[in-house]
Amino acid sequence: MELKFYIESGIIESYVLGLATEAETEELQHMRKLYPELDTEVDLVERRLEKAAFDEAVLPPMEVKDRILQRARWEYAGAGYGDSSSNYTFINIQPKDGSHISVHRWWKIFFIIIFILSKIFLFFAIFYYLKYRQQKEKEEPKQVTAIYVQVQQKNSHQL
Amino acid sequence: MRRDLTHISEQVLIERLTKGDQTAKELLYDRYAAGIYGIVLQLVPIKDRANDVMVRVFTWAFQHIESFSSSGYRTLFAWLMRKTRELSIQEAIPDTALTGTELMKREEGILQQFYILLPASEQQVFRLSYFKGLSVATIARMLGMPETEVNEILGASMKAFRKFLKDNWN
Repeated sequence: MELKFYIESGIIESYVLGLATEAETEELQHMRKLYPELDTEVDLVERRLEKAAFDEAVLPPMEVKDRILQRARWEYAGAGYGDSSSNYTFINIQPKDGSHISVHRWWKIFFIIIFILSKIFLFFAIFYYLKYRQQKEKEEPKQVTAIYVQVQQKNSHQL
Repeated sequence: MRRDLTHISEQVLIERLTKGDQTAKELLYDRYAAGIYGIVLQLVPIKDRANDVMVRVFTWAFQHIESFSSSGYRTLFAWLMRKTRELSIQEAIPDTALTGTELMKREEGILQQFYILLPASEQQVFRLSYFKGLSVATIARMLGMPETEVNEILGASMKAFRKFLKDNWN
């Protein structure tokens, strides 16, 4: 009778949902050892909850499954297990001599942009250099004329 | 291979998972992902974050399958669900930080359905306990109540939850 009261208190539901305190959980585990029939009740509650959850199930996006399984495969391969049941073979194609590095794909775009920019800057450098030279060439005859005029003026004053 | 495994018992599935069988991992996901995702979305209503929780739950499950037998749980689903709630609460952000567009439908979840049926006082305590993961002591402090009262309210909501489950999914 006491056991029935204990079950009806909702302690198993509280435990299964993860709401029971440590003391309550310990008590339940102790009670399960004393009364093995409690295990059947825990089983029933878990299965009811499972049925309820599956009535409101939501299919996750395919991407989630891919992420989980890919991670599991890598961790499995990384742990050094042999896997006779799968068709996957992991081959490390990185050379071991340490003379190669692998970089993110964004670096490719970055280097292309740097290359194009360097060409544009080079073009402008040449363009402005030529313009500068042209300007200077135009100014030179004027300066020569100005000097000539000045010399002429000086001479006329002296006279 | 895949087809052979589809109808295997939970016990055989656990044995295969313990050995690190990749097909068994896929089967575990196929069997429980939809049920677990429904639970995650009630706690983490943002799709991207909910997806991250799923990855963490199943990765944890693959790595800790040996601990299932000593966990006290009888079914893989309940074992997964317990961890799901734990990881979801860690991932959850305050409701005030949500903008609305990223929210998923939360009313459809089983625990939401139950929560709506509760009296107001029980609703508040159950929400803080289940959805927010707060301890009885913290809830008591927040609501300015003695811990015994919070325990009583939570106890009453658990009784109601037992009835709710038995009435609908017995």
